[in-house]
Amino acid sequence: MPVVEYKCPNCGSGMNFDSASGMLSCPSCGRQDKIDDSSDPLLVQTFEEGEAVEYHCNSCGADIITEPETSATTCSFCGSAVVLADRLSGQLAPSKVIPFAISKQQAEQAFRKWCRGGLLTPRGFMTANRIKGITGIYVPFWLYELNNEIEVQGHGTKVRTYTRGEYRYTETQHYEVYRKIRLNYNKVPVDASEKMSDELMDRLEPFPYGQLKTFNSPYLAGYIAEKYSYDDKQLFPRVKDKIAPFINSYIQSTVGGYATVTYSRKDIDTRLRHADYALLPVWMVYYDYNKKGYTFAMNGQTGKVVGKPPISMGKVAAWFGGVSVVTLLALKTVSWAMGGGFL
Amino acid sequence: MRRTTWAALALMLAIGLLILPASGLAADKQRIFDEAGLLSDSVRAELETLAASYSETHQTDFILYTTDREHSVDAERLTEDFYDERGPGYDKSFGNAAIMTIDMYTRDVYIAGFYRAKAYLDDARIQKVLDYVAPQLTNGDYAEAFRQFLERSDYYMSFEPGFNPDNILFKTWFQVAVSLALGALVVGVMAYRSGGRVTVNRQTYEDSATSGVLAHRDTYLRTTTTKTKIPKNNGGGGGGGGGVTRGGHSHSGGGRSF
Repeated sequence: MPVVEYKCPNCGSGMNFDSASGMLSCPSCGRQDKIDDSSDPLLVQTFEEGEAVEYHCNSCGADIITEPETSATTCSFCGSAVVLADRLSGQLAPSKVIPFAISKQQAEQAFRKWCRGGLLTPRGFMTANRIKGITGIYVPFWLYELNNEIEVQGHGTKVRTYTRGEYRYTETQHYEVYRKIRLNYNKVPVDASEKMSDELMDRLEPFPYGQLKTFNSPYLAGYIAEKYSYDDKQLFPRVKDKIAPFINSYIQSTVGGYATVTYSRKDIDTRLRHADYALLPVWMVYYDYNKKGYTFAMNGQTGKVVGKPPISMGKVAAWFGGVSVVTLLALKTVSWAMGGGFL
Repeated sequence: MRRTTWAALALMLAIGLLILPASGLAADKQRIFDEAGLLSDSVRAELETLAASYSETHQTDFILYTTDREHSVDAERLTEDFYDERGPGYDKSFGNAAIMTIDMYTRDVYIAGFYRAKAYLDDARIQKVLDYVAPQLTNGDYAEAFRQFLERSDYYMSFEPGFNPDNILFKTWFQVAVSLALGALVVGVMAYRSGGRVTVNRQTYEDSATSGVLAHRDTYLRTTTTKTKIPKNNGGGGGGGGGVTRGGHSHSGGGRSF
């Protein structure tokens, strides 16, 4: 049975990952095991991908009901943390993981605080008392290492103006500009989960790569984890789109001396050196407001919250009106002080 | 009955005579010296009243001086000599005055501001007034020219000295537009940022140790030069600024031909 559980060697209870200490801890007897030291129980046996069609909890024997992408979850009957080993082995074996640093309570607090800070969110939303669910998910990401060979050719101008006599002269110097650039990027993250919104995941960045660890399945204990839906080749066009603005901005920075540059040729050759399969920690917050569901995501390390909150038209109108009136009064006062009429 | 009426009339006359010098002083003050005879009597009387009321507002006498006699000096000198000879002024002799001189002999107009008017009706503002006055003179409508002189001077003198009254900052439509734009901008930024911002930039994932410019070339091709004539501020001929009269009164000023 390709299901792995983490039993406390002392008391036999199910152990969970503790975000505060970064260790596998037993809620019953308080035993804490370092994860880095232990060998991954996943590696003891090897499993074939897609071997099992159904999973049974090792503790209570109940069916574990999961979605096809889920690779770690808790048993809905007894609450034990279970890892579905065949979905984390072979092709699907992650190489890196960033463990959660924010606990569920901290995540909830941070989310409430974030809601109170919303300047345009409706009053009822700000109290954040309708959190429907808050789930810690390890989201699959590809971390790309990319090499770019860039060659650009263009026409640059430098402009100088001066006056002589009754004339103003504009002198434009024309240059042919050529740049050959090597630009390497490390660990550009792209989320590989079909379920997660790309827009949401992109805004969660940056993840602190200092916390990046070699994958070890006990990190997942107590959380939900997903396996990737797209492999690194499939997502290569997306990562290219993602670095395109970075590359353009770099090219721009190399032609700083010119007033204008128009490019006649821009060759960007992006080569995929390597892609790491990593699981990154995200708290998903589901929230009901006015009979509508809202989804927010929180970076499980930095606590950054992203997601579109509802916008109160009343507050928009109040801010718009307030800022406009204050500005108008300020302008009127200035013009009045200088002698212009107030009206 | 008859005696009482006469007594009442006599009393009213006496009171009238007592009051008359006090109130008549301001109203009877001459501000229009139409030596070229450009205005009819009725028009002149009407403009005198108008000039008196504007003079009150700005504590400055608005004076029209026209001449058609032969002379060999310019309109500025004519205005200066007029001031030195007659010594007009709202507050005192040789006081606050704005003088418009219409010289029919050379067909020149010159406006000068003395004391308070020198500050509030500076050279730049006089040019703006002239923009309204000169076309009327060209049309031969001298009464309208003086009316424009009064109205525009009144408007420009309501601004503190040193500011350009035609500055777009003073325009209400501009102020409203700026306010609304700023309001929309603030709300827009707030709405945009409410969903969380992208906080990565091009340096976040860049491996700066192995990245860089491998080769670069900047080949000079050619230089092109264009020239434009700097527009002059004074149009319509004349111009000139302020000066000092021979009597030692400093003034602002500006003139045109018409």
